[in-house]
Amino acid sequence: MRSFIIEPPPEPGAPAGPLWIRLAWFAALALGSAAATAALAYLLKALLR
Amino acid sequence: MDFDALVLSRLQFAFTLAFHIIFPAFTIGLASFLMVLEGLWLATKNAAFRNLYLFWIKIFALSFGMGVVSGVVMSYQFGTNWSVFSNVAAPVIGPLLAFEVLTAFFLEASFLGVMLFGWRKVGPGLHFAATLLVALGTLTSAFWIISANSWMQHPTGYVRLPSGALRATDWMAVIFSPTFPYRFVHMVLAAYLSTALVVGAASAWRLLRDPEEEESCLALKMAIGMFAIVAPLQLVVGDLSGKQLLSVQPAKLAAIEAFWESRSEQPFHIAAWPDRAQETNHLSIEAPELGSWIAAGNAHAFIRGLKAFPREDRPPVFIVFWAFRIMVGLGLLMIGLGFWGAYLASRGAPERHRLFLRACVLMGPAGFVSVIAGWVVAEVGRQPYTIYGVLRTAQSVSPVSAGQVSISLLAFMVTYAIIFCVGGLYILRLIAEGAHPTAAADTEPLRHGRPPGYALAAAPDEPEPVP
Repeated sequence: MRSFIIEPPPEPGAPAGPLWIRLAWFAALALGSAAATAALAYLLKALLR
Repeated sequence: MDFDALVLSRLQFAFTLAFHIIFPAFTIGLASFLMVLEGLWLATKNAAFRNLYLFWIKIFALSFGMGVVSGVVMSYQFGTNWSVFSNVAAPVIGPLLAFEVLTAFFLEASFLGVMLFGWRKVGPGLHFAATLLVALGTLTSAFWIISANSWMQHPTGYVRLPSGALRATDWMAVIFSPTFPYRFVHMVLAAYLSTALVVGAASAWRLLRDPEEEESCLALKMAIGMFAIVAPLQLVVGDLSGKQLLSVQPAKLAAIEAFWESRSEQPFHIAAWPDRAQETNHLSIEAPELGSWIAAGNAHAFIRGLKAFPREDRPPVFIVFWAFRIMVGLGLLMIGLGFWGAYLASRGAPERHRLFLRACVLMGPAGFVSVIAGWVVAEVGRQPYTIYGVLRTAQSVSPVSAGQVSISLLAFMVTYAIIFCVGGLYILRLIAEGAHPTAAADTEPLRHGRPPGYALAAAPDEPEPVP
């Protein structure tokens, strides 16, 4: 796993994007991760039936 | 010993648990460490904290993944190998494990995505919130698992139905059973200490090669702080947890201390060879009256020995006795390391003391060994019960054959040997690379459109005019 997979922090002094866009990313990444976890769980359950 | 389905199922559970527990213990500590690093970076803007964060988050992500994979195996074994236990205890244990998944695992899994892929997208403040939520998730996970295990150690707040199944009557009594508070704190401190030992060992390893590396110096000092504060605190909490055994699990206490006779002024056995068949200790080295003092806080206290319990209700004394001594012995070494490090730090630069750095490297795995030894004391000491005083281990096992369990145990041994050797070696390789600034160079902006490693990266686009 190299650092290009893990997103580094913004550059010092870089302007922050609009709050609503950052919040939308926050929600999208969290929900996407939860959905990926749930999908994997359902897949495992289906495979073991 | 006959290797029947019961013994093999116990071996399989112990084998898979010993692998699994390393990863949750590490991720509980590492998540909180990452939270502290990011908080310090936000507060001080010291790039060393950011570099350390970017370094340890890779190891956290790998360990989290390996913890999930090995944890799923644990859950399935409740059904495959311990179906009678599941049938009897599921109405009580099941909701606790379900809460662990819903409140802790999903919290960790959701916000880990933000931690890994969203720093520039969400900005520093929201990213720190995600790190904080993941750290909270790991602690919540520990809360539910220790709650379920503590209830198995000393069940309260339930009734037994005519069918034999258990039903909770008081959920607060189930969740907060009497041994839970001390055991929860003991486990969390063990996780913090194990992580600090790994961070200390990784930093010391780097400093033995380059004593000037700023990130490793910083991480070593943070680790020393944890050894010096948490290790003595852990001894106090462990002692309080042990004293509780006198009233809730006296047979386990007798096995831990190899007390055979019931008497006051019990001696403390520093080392011995407990003999279950002859109900005595061979080659014993003991300190008079100290056993009663340690176990009950009073050198004249009367404490029951193993002979006070029917043979069929006694735990395997040899394993419990020695697992406890390994745990405590390593704990004392951790306290010594903490005081040594604090002394060196007070005099100047611990990173210049090569003997101390070597000791830190040697002590790197000590936390995990202690955690495994501690779980051996807790689980083997609870024998011959799965739910203490309620359901015996022999009654909990699934109706499966020894052949079936042998095949699954062999499969686990081969699979784990491959997966965890590869994963473990990769983590060690990452740790050996260190959090040195060149690792963080990937994050620097391109100069003149060229990557930092390019030979003419810093050269101007246009050649300067010759006068």
